[in-house]
Amino acid sequence: MDTLMSRKKRILCSVIAVLIAFLFLFPIYWLVQLSFKPDMEAFGRVLTYYPHTFTFAPWMENLDDPVFMTSLRNSFINAFLTMSITLVLGVPAAYGMGRYKVRGSRLFLLTFLISQMLPASLTLTPLYLIFNGVGLLGKHVTSPIAIAASAIPFAIVTLRPFFRSVPVTLDEAARLDGCGPLRAFFSVMVPAVKTGIITIVVISFLNGWNDLVYSMTFNVGADMRPLTANIYKFQSAYGTKWNCIMAYGTILVLPVVILFIFMQKYIVGGLTAGAVKE
Amino acid sequence: MLTAPFFRKGLDIMQKRMISVSAQRRKEAYFFILPAFVYILLVMGYPMVYNAVLSLKNMNVKNLKSGASVFIGFQNYAELFGNETFLLVLKNTFVFTIACLIFQFTIGFAFALFFKQNFPLSGIIRGMILISYMMPMAVTGLLGKNIFMNDGLVNNLLKRIGIIGPEWLTNTTSSLPAVIIMNCWVGIPFNMLLLISGLTSISNDVYESAMIDGANWGQRFFLITLPLMKSAIFAVLMLGFIYTFRAFDLMYIMTKGGPLNSTDVLGTYSYMFSFTQFQFSKGAATAMVLFACLFVVGMFYLHLLGKEEE
Amino acid sequence: MKKILALILMLAMCISVFAAAHAEPVEVELWHYFDSSNDKDMINKWVEDYNALQDKIHITATYVSRQELMNQYAIGAISGELPDIGMVDSPDMASFISLGVFADITDQLNAWGELDNFYPGPLSSCMDSEGKLYGLPQNTNCLALGCNMDMLKAAGYDHMPKDLTELKEMVAATSDPDNGVYGMAMCCIGTEEGTFQLLPWLRSSVGGQGVNVDNLTAQSAVDGLTVLGDFIHNNYMSKEAVNWTQADAWYAFCAGKAAMVECGTWHLAMTGDINGSFNYDFCLLPTGEEGTSTSTIGGENFGICTGCVDTDACVEFLKWMCSKEKEAEWAVGAGKIPVRGDSEAVYSYETKGFQVFVDEMNYAQARGPHAEWPTISEAIYTACQSVFVDNADPAAALAKAMETIAPIVAENPLP
Repeated sequence: MDTLMSRKKRILCSVIAVLIAFLFLFPIYWLVQLSFKPDMEAFGRVLTYYPHTFTFAPWMENLDDPVFMTSLRNSFINAFLTMSITLVLGVPAAYGMGRYKVRGSRLFLLTFLISQMLPASLTLTPLYLIFNGVGLLGKHVTSPIAIAASAIPFAIVTLRPFFRSVPVTLDEAARLDGCGPLRAFFSVMVPAVKTGIITIVVISFLNGWNDLVYSMTFNVGADMRPLTANIYKFQSAYGTKWNCIMAYGTILVLPVVILFIFMQKYIVGGLTAGAVKE
Repeated sequence: MLTAPFFRKGLDIMQKRMISVSAQRRKEAYFFILPAFVYILLVMGYPMVYNAVLSLKNMNVKNLKSGASVFIGFQNYAELFGNETFLLVLKNTFVFTIACLIFQFTIGFAFALFFKQNFPLSGIIRGMILISYMMPMAVTGLLGKNIFMNDGLVNNLLKRIGIIGPEWLTNTTSSLPAVIIMNCWVGIPFNMLLLISGLTSISNDVYESAMIDGANWGQRFFLITLPLMKSAIFAVLMLGFIYTFRAFDLMYIMTKGGPLNSTDVLGTYSYMFSFTQFQFSKGAATAMVLFACLFVVGMFYLHLLGKEEE
Repeated sequence: MKKILALILMLAMCISVFAAAHAEPVEVELWHYFDSSNDKDMINKWVEDYNALQDKIHITATYVSRQELMNQYAIGAISGELPDIGMVDSPDMASFISLGVFADITDQLNAWGELDNFYPGPLSSCMDSEGKLYGLPQNTNCLALGCNMDMLKAAGYDHMPKDLTELKEMVAATSDPDNGVYGMAMCCIGTEEGTFQLLPWLRSSVGGQGVNVDNLTAQSAVDGLTVLGDFIHNNYMSKEAVNWTQADAWYAFCAGKAAMVECGTWHLAMTGDINGSFNYDFCLLPTGEEGTSTSTIGGENFGICTGCVDTDACVEFLKWMCSKEKEAEWAVGAGKIPVRGDSEAVYSYETKGFQVFVDEMNYAQARGPHAEWPTISEAIYTACQSVFVDNADPAAALAKAMETIAPIVAENPLP
């Protein structure tokens, strides 16, 4: 179907795509341009669509902060740990639930779903009590443990259909070649659902990177806090200093965007490869 | 090359095989599933029980220290359902969730179909619009607060085309729509991402053989895409429902639930009870109501899944 | 036998003195939410100074934003995991005392003998209903009116509003909503900040006696709220005020979007934001007749949290921080007012402005103290917002607020 697309249609599609991109990216442009405005223009009476006076001051205010680099590091740690826990536990479970018919599979699925249903206000205090009890407060792994608890069920629910749609002949062949269940899982099944796994990698990484409530509650020390937890400081006595907030927001989004640009090839590749043709 | 009938047959074989091998390989399955299951039970089981018990007590700012809180049965729930603010919040939560789901899913699905096509910019732009999904909700909320100011970007743009925009966040009727728009801005790319994954797992060969049989676009969509995507669609809708229904960050940052509770949802309302007013048991009861609503939808999802998988 | 005992006792004392002299200072955690550069730098420096001054405790100061700090205290009240020394916004102190976050340090503070020097208002916010003390007020502040004198002049006024009637005139005359200029700016947000700024108007003494929050159905309170409602409905005050924090209102004023602003003492340390773009001045908040005013007391308290590793040593720090000299130093540096009558703050900037705020303190009233203040506060800002946003009738809105407040104050009356 793809190859049959006419030239005219391709151009039309591209035009529509550009319009969509404009609509979705304009707020991001807004965010970035605000971060280069001086205070008076950012709160001024007249709305400007680009900085009439260009300044790096809001950026410097963020970068000058001595804890900035530490927070950046913590954000990455948060994201990587969340992603690791999710992959290690979530992918095998999705495989187990997608490929096998086991007794109690309904119960498993229900449990995983339920854990997604608990709002933050419900889990905060009891989780704090648990982490306090086992001496985990103020450790890098604390927030990821809590975040992964909602990322794992997500991984299971989204990956399960992928595992189900892999033709049974694939892993049967591997089994006949003498692979054990683990070998078959790693060498045949995981590559076959590459698309889905890349999606999970991206989303669980973002879950860790973007988390606000858990990181705020379980880590109080400045040397333990990720970037998201610090954005608050521009919202209190300083008021809503839009330019500083937006500079901070841009900084928060930037590493992820860069990561995405480098991974784009794999993501798009993964998304279009198709699982069955592997 | 796989053709449609072959694909169908493959599915049949797979299902039969699964039943026959299930007995001997049950142990293997537990080996894969149990670590995640135990993890979830440990991390989420206790909060669940803790909260359920708390919601039946009367713990608040006055009796926490003395430990004099007692079990009062379902009185918290009764009080909540007799409270008009709570009923408004409940309504807001449903309006917000359903509106977001409708827009996110339909537009997200349309985008997925659109960007799945092979045209020069499809890959790049598909990646680019994911940025709004990648942003932390904290930043999204602040951005929403900024552009929906009465003299902010949105109203300024509307004015340019001759429309006097509503007083978005300072009006009880337009504040929820503003929050919904912001949420859709994040949710559409998210739905698109998951649905594109699902779409690409359908072999192109299936479509090709259908086209050889003379199926038109509509037939292909309704007879091939939708049925083959069924479980992916269930999953997307289900997850979408859960995430939207328990929304917290966006409102907490963008409107703090205001003005006058017009953007308060169960997530923010329960948080406010527990952490602003220190009415811990009321907060727990509100969270339980949120959970109960999701539980019903979750059971429905399982029911559908069960039907489909049998 | 007695001799031997005495000897042993002496020996033990010597050892303990010896041990104390060589003991490592105990690590102590202090949490605060000072976030403007003045406050933040000063608290960090003070903590360093105090660490160098003695060797019993070593304090580490950690910044935690106000909202987070509240959450940490609430969770800490349940789990017992708290810092050693904690800062708290004065109206919230009563709730946290009730939750058991702070330790009773009445005896240590009474033995100090300097409590009489503290102003009773701020000090009372550190007490429970039985008069036991759980901390010390560290600074205090109140609200007054900031005026853009250039705008007033352009509207034909050469002075600031003296009473409520004049304020209403001036607010109307300086408003130009089509150009984004409003006569008045204040914070009416649905949080404690909103209540802080709304209360002076509800306690307005116009046409009668000013009332406290346990009697909001009084005509004077209804009239006060009506004035604010009219400001918004006539476009004399931006409706955005319902989402504005105090800092947002202040920035609107600095950016020339508002002719007058209800502002706090600490804004005097932030007049640099105006950047010389207009002439400004401050006056008493004109909420009633000429010569009268109402305002709200704000400020921060410090308490020793329950489970503190060394309560006595930490109380010593509080006493040092709230000493006569340190109080004056803080007030000047952070733009606040000392909580002690014997502290003389010599402001090196905005001296005239500080005089207005010091004067305004005579009219300022405390919020609570009451353990259920957060619930009372919510009822108050909800009532006001329903007038601003939903066009509710002020009398009906306040009557509805009293439905929430009345049973609470009936059970535990306000002081």
